[in-house]
Amino acid sequence: MVRKAVRMFAETELGPIARDIDRDARFPWEVVEKMRPLHFFGLQAPKAFGGAEMDSISYAITIEEISRVSAAVGLCLTVHNSVGIYPIERFGTEEQKRRFLPSMTRGERIGAFCLTEANAGSDAGGVETIAVRDGNDYIINGTKIFVTNGGICGTSLIFAITDPQNPQRSAGVFIVDKDTPGFAVGEIEDLCGMRANPVSSLFLEDCRVPETNLLCRPGDGLKIGLVTLDTGRLGIAAQALGLAQAAFEDAVRYSKERQQFRKPISSFQTIQNYLADMATEISAARLLLYRACAVKDSGGLFSAEAAMAKLFCSATATRVTNLAVQIHGGYGYSKEYDVERYFRDAKVTEIYEGTSEVQRMVIARDVLAQRT
Amino acid sequence: MLNIVVCLKQVPMVSELPWDPATGTLRRELAEGMMNPACRAALEAALRIREAQGGEITAITMGPKMAEEVLREAIALGADRGVLLNDRKMAGADTSVTSFTLARAIEKTCPEFDLVLCGFATSDSETAQVGPQLAEELDIPGVGYVDQIAVSGRTVRMQRLSDNFLETLEMDLPGLITVMTGAYIPRHVPMGGLQAAFDIADIVTLDAASLDLDPERIGVKGSATKILSVTSPLAGKKNVVLTGTPKRIVEQLFERFDDKIGGAIGKDLKADKKKRS
Repeated sequence: MVRKAVRMFAETELGPIARDIDRDARFPWEVVEKMRPLHFFGLQAPKAFGGAEMDSISYAITIEEISRVSAAVGLCLTVHNSVGIYPIERFGTEEQKRRFLPSMTRGERIGAFCLTEANAGSDAGGVETIAVRDGNDYIINGTKIFVTNGGICGTSLIFAITDPQNPQRSAGVFIVDKDTPGFAVGEIEDLCGMRANPVSSLFLEDCRVPETNLLCRPGDGLKIGLVTLDTGRLGIAAQALGLAQAAFEDAVRYSKERQQFRKPISSFQTIQNYLADMATEISAARLLLYRACAVKDSGGLFSAEAAMAKLFCSATATRVTNLAVQIHGGYGYSKEYDVERYFRDAKVTEIYEGTSEVQRMVIARDVLAQRT
Repeated sequence: MLNIVVCLKQVPMVSELPWDPATGTLRRELAEGMMNPACRAALEAALRIREAQGGEITAITMGPKMAEEVLREAIALGADRGVLLNDRKMAGADTSVTSFTLARAIEKTCPEFDLVLCGFATSDSETAQVGPQLAEELDIPGVGYVDQIAVSGRTVRMQRLSDNFLETLEMDLPGLITVMTGAYIPRHVPMGGLQAAFDIADIVTLDAASLDLDPERIGVKGSATKILSVTSPLAGKKNVVLTGTPKRIVEQLFERFDDKIGGAIGKDLKADKKKRS
């Protein structure tokens, strides 16, 4: 029922514009307007702060269904909910939650999570953005790159070190409002896919924030980052799954319509094998993701499960969208059909919120540490 | 404070439903259920009336256990409670028996109702009979095919389009209204409501015994009408190519198809021709 409700919303509100917003690299504020009262910007946040308090499987289904129609909008939601709101909800003080969450769950302030820098990404320890204490404030300087939601963010979580002598142990996460003097949004990146999401750099130049904007203590940054990314990975996995599903449905439909040798191409065993593999991989990906969500909701450790789900769902998205283009032939390579968009969108799911290589690192660490 | 009852039906999502080309029937066993679009409009009307007047909305449906879903959806959208009439004995009911069963359930669960809202028809059977029959069963006035509803005190004013006339009608409460699809554009389901509809809301489930219904009077046994078969008429297409000069083509067109063209533009072309000659 969650699926039906979200699908109906996505198909009526996003369906007609999904292709255009990709072509024009335009973020659809008019749809955001409609999403706000429906709690799309506080999917898992507590009711007390205006959220919908969804469980993780419902959350995954929601992201999956939005992404099935527009992965770029799905991306905005998953980043906002999983790595924008969640860390504040999980690690913030009551005062911080009261101050930041309501405007975020109302969708007035879209969240962004800013870890990646020119010399840091997979290696979170390489962060060079620095926050220097000054009385009761911190003064932040640095540059963040490839920030999803960068061009539309209201509230950013900035990873910064507080002691250059000891970067690993001094990282902190600062909540920075976009109106803070010294905070500036860079050019919107011209990317291969997810073009309706304004990914940009963020510049922080003598950005002064009160110490009450620091989540936990200096030095807790890495821990917050890791826990947050575990959750974020479920969202990205769901997004990748939605893309795979969309490409698969298009491929099935097209293979039944397209005639070659006076038969629909779906009657050829080659195409049938493709479709069978796509269906199987999507099912496996879905189960892996929902299992990771269930483990999270039951309160267990889910780092490895989330990494497996993210690794497998994103690989599935890349393979399935690739095959969907193949099944469409020349038309699949044309912007007249949606599969080329799915194909472009899918690749980055293997890159952001931890590359596939990093996911394997996380999984291997878990395997070697405690499993037989 | 209005006490509103909305009758809902779960119908198969036909767009996703494969046809069996051999028999021309819908393969219902593969159907995903959805709330009938006109019922959705009726629920939207109820929600807007409640927003304006205050009150309580009871959503009621008869069907298999799976039909509970439309009640949860109604609650997610804002209905206060859901009543499911579920009993094998109720299955296979025709429209008359459906109205009878719904009426008894409404009397039992909402004896103080002010207004009953139904969709004007369902997308899977299109009879448009249950609403009016339900008004009869409840012995209250009923108005069908309504586009606009305004409640004021104990009267309700309605507008409906009938042919090219806009009718404005007034009815005393309690009464029943069937609502047109498209009259009230339904809102989207809020995510918060959805989770709550599953976590919190209880659905009241009633069977024939709890409604004191005679098993001979309900379901397939009580139904006077039977559907023998449902098939899709395979519409044959015939391509006709007219040749000649444009003038000759137009003449042929009117000679051979005057009845169809006349039907489309609402004129009796044969009579016109006679008159002219």
